[in-house]
This record gives sequence, structure tokens and C-alpha cells, in this order.
Amino acid sequence: MDRLVSVINPLALFFAALAIPIILLYLLRLQRREQTVSSTLLWRQVVLDREANTLWQRLRRNLLLLLQLLTLAFLVFALVRPYLNLPSTLSGRLIVLLDGSASMQATDVAPTRFEAAKAEIRKLIDELGPSSDMTIILVDGSPHALASATSSKSELTAALDTAHPSLESANWSAGVALATAAGGGGGSDNSATTVILSDGINADDLQLLTGNVRYIPIGVSGDNVAISTLSLRKTPRGLAAFVRVTNTGSTDDRVLVSLRSDSVLLDARTLSIPAGQSVSWIINGIDPQVSSVRASIDQAAHNDLPIDDVAYVVNEKNTQRRVLLLTRGNRFLEQALAVLPNLQVTRAITAPEPADAKPYDLYVLDGISATLPSHASVLFIGAQSVFTASGVFSSTTFMRSEQHPVLASVDWRSVNALDIARVNTPEWLRPIAQSSSGPMLFAGEMRSQGDPFWRVVLIPFELRESDLPLQVAFPVLIANSVAWLAPPQGLNIPSSVKPGDVVPIPADAIVLLPDGNRVAVGQRGFAQTNQLGVYSAQYGDVAGAFAVNFSIPAESKIAPNLDLKIGGATPSSEVKPQYSQREIWSWLAVAALILLVIEWWVYQRGVPMLRRK
Amino acid sequence: MQIEPILRALNGLQFVPPRRKPGATTGERRSPRRGRSVEFADYRDYTPGDDPRRVDWNIYARLERPYIKLYEDEEDLTVHVLLDASPSMQWREENQPLSPKWERASQLAVAMSYIALTSGDRLIVETSTRSRIGPKRGAAATSAVMEFIERETLPPEMADGRVPANRPGASASLNNWLKRYALDARPGLCIVISDFLDADGYAEGLNALGSSRLDVNVLHTLSPAELDPEFAGDLRLRDIETAATQDISLDDAALSQYRQRLNQWTGAIAEFCRRRGGKYHLTDTSELVEKVVLRDLRREGWIV
Repeated sequence: MDRLVSVINPLALFFAALAIPIILLYLLRLQRREQTVSSTLLWRQVVLDREANTLWQRLRRNLLLLLQLLTLAFLVFALVRPYLNLPSTLSGRLIVLLDGSASMQATDVAPTRFEAAKAEIRKLIDELGPSSDMTIILVDGSPHALASATSSKSELTAALDTAHPSLESANWSAGVALATAAGGGGGSDNSATTVILSDGINADDLQLLTGNVRYIPIGVSGDNVAISTLSLRKTPRGLAAFVRVTNTGSTDDRVLVSLRSDSVLLDARTLSIPAGQSVSWIINGIDPQVSSVRASIDQAAHNDLPIDDVAYVVNEKNTQRRVLLLTRGNRFLEQALAVLPNLQVTRAITAPEPADAKPYDLYVLDGISATLPSHASVLFIGAQSVFTASGVFSSTTFMRSEQHPVLASVDWRSVNALDIARVNTPEWLRPIAQSSSGPMLFAGEMRSQGDPFWRVVLIPFELRESDLPLQVAFPVLIANSVAWLAPPQGLNIPSSVKPGDVVPIPADAIVLLPDGNRVAVGQRGFAQTNQLGVYSAQYGDVAGAFAVNFSIPAESKIAPNLDLKIGGATPSSEVKPQYSQREIWSWLAVAALILLVIEWWVYQRGVPMLRRK
Repeated sequence: MQIEPILRALNGLQFVPPRRKPGATTGERRSPRRGRSVEFADYRDYTPGDDPRRVDWNIYARLERPYIKLYEDEEDLTVHVLLDASPSMQWREENQPLSPKWERASQLAVAMSYIALTSGDRLIVETSTRSRIGPKRGAAATSAVMEFIERETLPPEMADGRVPANRPGASASLNNWLKRYALDARPGLCIVISDFLDADGYAEGLNALGSSRLDVNVLHTLSPAELDPEFAGDLRLRDIETAATQDISLDDAALSQYRQRLNQWTGAIAEFCRRRGGKYHLTDTSELVEKVVLRDLRREGWIV
């Protein structure tokens, strides 16, 4: 490896013996054509002139032979396949893991850490040898390959230009899996080198990576101030905003925090935050009618990550549904109701007085009878005094189930119960699940005025005497029932999501993005939550809003991890003196071709036989 | 030999001898000797031994000193046409039926002979094969001269270089021929038609002619293939006369060297003739005979 030039196939030097036939052929070629002339008198003088010439002219007479031998020499040198030992970091297969996490947007390296990492990769692309190839994997929330095993520098550069940092944490385990699939990370044929360009934040999963790994740390500073919490709370004196600002760096800082509502400045304050500490700030007396509130850090001395300097909160209108659960204690039911969103469950044993001003959206009567306000939606569980029963049955062999929203995704076939009441139901309350002995589930909608009910679901057996709560179908059934019995007001969407989250907005709704664009929602919900800010959605005459906040505390701690452990070892960020074997046979072959052309030209020029008439 | 139509145009031309050469008999030429003709030329002092009949007695009576009256002497001119008929003169390229060089040389020889015959000169034609015709006088001898030259043409099968060694003059050098001719040549005008391609050179022969009081004029005939050769490559050149071979690799440089050598060589011959008071004309055998004779030779003062 010390020599600059080495050869791969020295046996090809035997091809140099081809020079012997070339010389022989040259001598044979000198069997001259005979030409009769009137006299050789003058020609002899010409020959004498020429023989008296210098060595150079004698050589020039053999120029063709020289050129042929030189061509052969170049071809032989090409065949022995010499290569140059060029100092290089790049040879063979190269897999580049580019950190696309939110912390890579830090500006401690100009212009950003991400751009600096891209510049490093461009350098690697420039150094890439002709027999090497490179795979670039952008590791963000959902890592993917920007370019796969190509040696085309233009393709790699173009792919790199499309890379943008995300607002998410990097999914390093998926990135490592991609890199391993691309050929990096161990294996017997381990010619691949994995290069990681990252600030090393939340990169513990890189320990899974094995093999030849090079880590190029990006980032120098950990100074950052973030708005870690922003929330609104209703108080008797209007809304109260709660702002928590965290200094994740190692330097004490004074920051100017401002609070705005719909671009109107509500308040601003300078906060002194010690390193590693948080400071809270509560602003009272905000108009309850504001649609959203924005908190931002406007000035800070040591703040390198801009994306966590702003937070939004939506002033939620009352979209919660109130549920009254009358039960003597049913853990399954309580749990199933508790996990449902936008549901305010009140548990009681007896029904409230009818004088209670506000009726509940849904009443769940778990074996308890109660007097209910008119037009109430009710989930009846077990025998109820409302309906008369004509006996019980226990044979639950499944017969059929109706297509009904309550039974969507519910597998009723293996539901067994003891003592199912044979209920005499009004005509509008129809059985939707039938066993061989009788109906096991009723659902119906009251259409005439004056009736106490609006929608009713009836489970005519005690849950405690059934295996239904133990089945997967149960929480689905409860969720379906609640959704059908008490349809959510508004769009029923979360008020704050993280970037990249999918928001469950009905298809064909129109969403107004923070940058002013309008987007129609697809079948699988709204996924374009890659901008920070307040989004508002419109679905028919129903409107809703949600805020996308960068709220990943780990990504706000931008201090780069320079001593990343990978595969149990700390990879050196130093460039080890590696060598790449760059073969030069192609250049020799090109030189041989050029010589061949020159030889042809000399032949055409020096032997003007073609000019003969 | 397509020469007869041209000959008519040559009527009335005659050679210009640069020096007066005494002829054998009285003819139409003015002799350099002061003689007995009626045309007065000059006076000179009487010296003892002079014919007293030639003293101008009228002058003597007037000046009392004897003067000899000199008259122009008119005499004939002997024209020697020496035609080189060596194989190199008859050389032709492989695809040519006749040797263009020999064709032109023999036409020139006939034209020179015709001029001599029609202007009343004495004509002797000899080829390098030592065949001779003449002395002839009068235009009637023209056809005999033409036949003679025709006979000297090599048969086609022999003109490709396979010259039989027993052919007379085949191995004789130009010098030997000219020297031998000079031995018994009458003084006069001598026209040597040759390519001068002889390994022994030409100087001795031409000098011998000059010493025999011959006025040596040279018509140097070379074919285009000799003036500007077009063959090239690695060749073995074979001399048509000596059968000697010369290996040469011809490229542009060699050809330009050849032309340079050729120019030096023809220049040397021309200079040689000029120094001896002779005329020299290099003719490309592709040129037309009438152009050579009527234009070039007249312009150069060979004929008037």
C-alpha cells in the first residue's frame, strides 16, 4: 500500500512479447517493391544525403515502428491493470445517513446544521471514485433513500438537493434498517462504509449499526431557548394563558417573550432563565372569544434553534359531549368510555333531578333505571323497566347481524351471555344481532315527536354475566354506540398535534393552512401537518381548528453529541488515511488509441502512395 | 514519328554558330578565316611570307606601307547531331507503350537535322550505339535521317529495361562515346541530345568535343517521371542500364531531397556548357516539339 502505483495482473506483461512479431513484421514489410528507373544516379545521392543525416532522422524513418511499439506498450500496461493508491476516504460502497431531524435546523453552523451536512455530503460526492457508489438515506420521522447505490454524481447531487429537514425526531432504528438493507453494517462482504452526518441527538438507536462506520458530527453549540408549554384555561375572568419557557442550553439567558392573539399583541415580557431551567408566565384576562393564541420568543442572546421559539394554542369551543353513566360499578364500561376523546363522563348511581338545567348528551344506564329528559339518547345495558320482558334465554348460537353503524367492525359471532332478556320492544327499536334463540342487540331511532328517546341502543343482558367485555369487539361496540348515539359536535379533532401527525378530518373537508393555502382533505385524514401554526378546517357548515406545535423537548436540546457510540464503540470522526485503488487502465487504453490514430496519420502523410494516379 | 507536319514550319530557320569554325569547302557560311571571298572585311600589316597578291596596292601607293586586304571567307557549317540512344533514354513506365522520352528526343533530333539540311549545312547524325548517318546535305536527306533514327528505337519488348548486354553501346558510357566521336569530328556545331544520366558523368565527353573545335550545345531531355517522381514507399530502385539496385524509403522528405539534387545536377550541366560558350536547354519530354524548337530554342538564340 506504500507504493503509489501497483498492478493487479502482472502476468499480462507477457503480452509484451508481441513486440517480437511486430518487429519481425516490420522487417518483413521492408521487402521492397521493385521499381525500374532510368537511372539510380540521383537516387543514390539522395540516399547518401539521408544516410548522412542525424540519428533523429534515422529514427524518424522508423517512426511507424516506434509508434506501434509504443501503442503495444500502452496496451500491455493497460492489461496489467495498474492502479494508483490515492489517499481517499471513499472507496467501494458508501452509505450516507443524513440526519433530517428537527434539531438539524439549528443555526449554530451557518446556515443550518442540515445545510452544513449537505455540504459535507457534496464533498463526499466529489471524492467519489468511479468504481464506488453511494446511497443517501434521509433519516427523519420516516427514513427513506434519496439515491440508491449510484455512482452518478449528478444524480446524487440532484437527489441531495431535494432533501429538507423535518420537524420530527429522527427514526434511527428505521434508518439503520435501511442502511443495513443497502449493504452497510457488517456482513462478510463488508466493503461498505456507513457515513453518519448528524448532531447525534436521540441517536441511541445507532448502536444497532455495525461494520465500517464513520461519524461526522454536525453542530457546535447547545444554546437554545424553547417555548415548552402554551395552554389556555377558562377562568371566570376570561381566558388565562400559561407559557413555559425552557432554556435547554448551558448559558443563562434573558429572553423577550410575546403573546399575540390573531396578530394582536396581548402582552410581552422579558424573562431571565438560568441554564437548564424553565420559567413560567401566566397571562390572565384574555378575551374568551379569541380563536387562537401565539407565544413567541422574540429576542434571545443564545438561541440557535428557531423552530421551537413559537407555539400556538387554539381556543377550543365546547365540543365535549357530556355522558352520564349510571352504574353500580363496571370497570370494563368505565374504561371503554374513558378512552374515547371529547367525552366528559359523569358517573352516578342515581339519576339527577330533572330540574338539573342541562341535559346530558348521552345516558348510559347499566342496569339502573332512571327518569330521563325527553329526546335523550340512551345506551341500555341489562334488563330495564322501560321495556317489558317475556322471559330469558341463554342459547347464544349466532345467526346473523344487521349492517348497522353500531356493529361496524364488531365481531358478534362468539359473544356468549347468561340470561338474555327476551324483550318486547317497540317497532322502531329493531334487533340488529340475532342468536338462534332470540335477538341479542337492539338499536333504533325514534322518529315521532313527544317520545322521550331520540336514539337508543339496547344490550339485553348483564355485562357481568357475559364474555362480551373480554372480547376485542367490546370497546369497538361502545365506541360505535357512543358515536352513533351522541354524534360529536363540530369536527371532533384534537386541538394540538405534532408535525407529521395525521388529523382525523372527514374527507373533502377544506383545510386552511398557516401559510394561507387551502387543501382538500383526502380519504385518510389530513396529513400535511408539516407547518407550524394554526390550521382551520371547514366541513360543510361545521368548522374546527387545530394547532401544529413543535413540541419535542428532546429535539430542543440541541447540544451535539460528539462522542456518539455506535456498535459499542466510538467511531473516529478523524479521517483515517485510507487508500482507494483507482485503476488507470482506461487512460492507458485511450492513450493507445490516440497513438494508433497518430500512427495512421503518420502513415498517411509520410507514405503518399494514395496520391499516385 | 509525328514530325513531318512540324518540319514545314522549320523552313527558313538556321543555326547560329557563336564562333566561326573553318569549314572544309566553300559554302554559304561566313568563315572566320579571312579569305578570298569578294566581301571586304579588314586590313592588316603585311608580314613576310604573306601572299604578295593579297597586298592592297592602292593603299601602298597612297601610304607607302604594305597592307594586306582581308576578305570575308564564306564556308559551310558542319552540324553534328549526337543522339543518346542508351536504354535510359528509352525508359518508359510500365503502362506506357512507347517511351515518351525517346519519342521527344528523336523528334528533336529530326527537327535539328532538318534545320541543318534546309539551311545548306553539312549534317552528321550519330547515336550512342555508334551508328552514324552523313555527312548529308540538302533537304532531300531528311527522310533518310528519319529512317535512321527510327531504326535506333529499341523494340518495345526491349525497352522495359531488359536490354541485352550484347547490344552495341549498351554498356558504353556517354563519356567514351563523345570522346571517341571527338577524335575525328570536323569542327562545327554539335548538338548533344541526352538525359546525361550516366554514372561516369558527362564532363570528359563534352570537354573532348570542345577541344575538337566543336561548338557544344546540349538539349537535356528528361521525362516528367524523372523531373517529378510520383512513386513512393519502401522501394528497390533498379537501374535500367546497369541493373544496379538502390533501396530507398521514399517519403515527402526524400522526394524533396531528390528534387533538390536534380536541380543542382541540371544547374551544374548548364553552368558547364555556359562556361564553354555552349548553350543548354532542359526540356521536359512532355512538351511539344514545335514549342521547344520554335519558341524556346529561338528565344535562347539557338536558331534564327
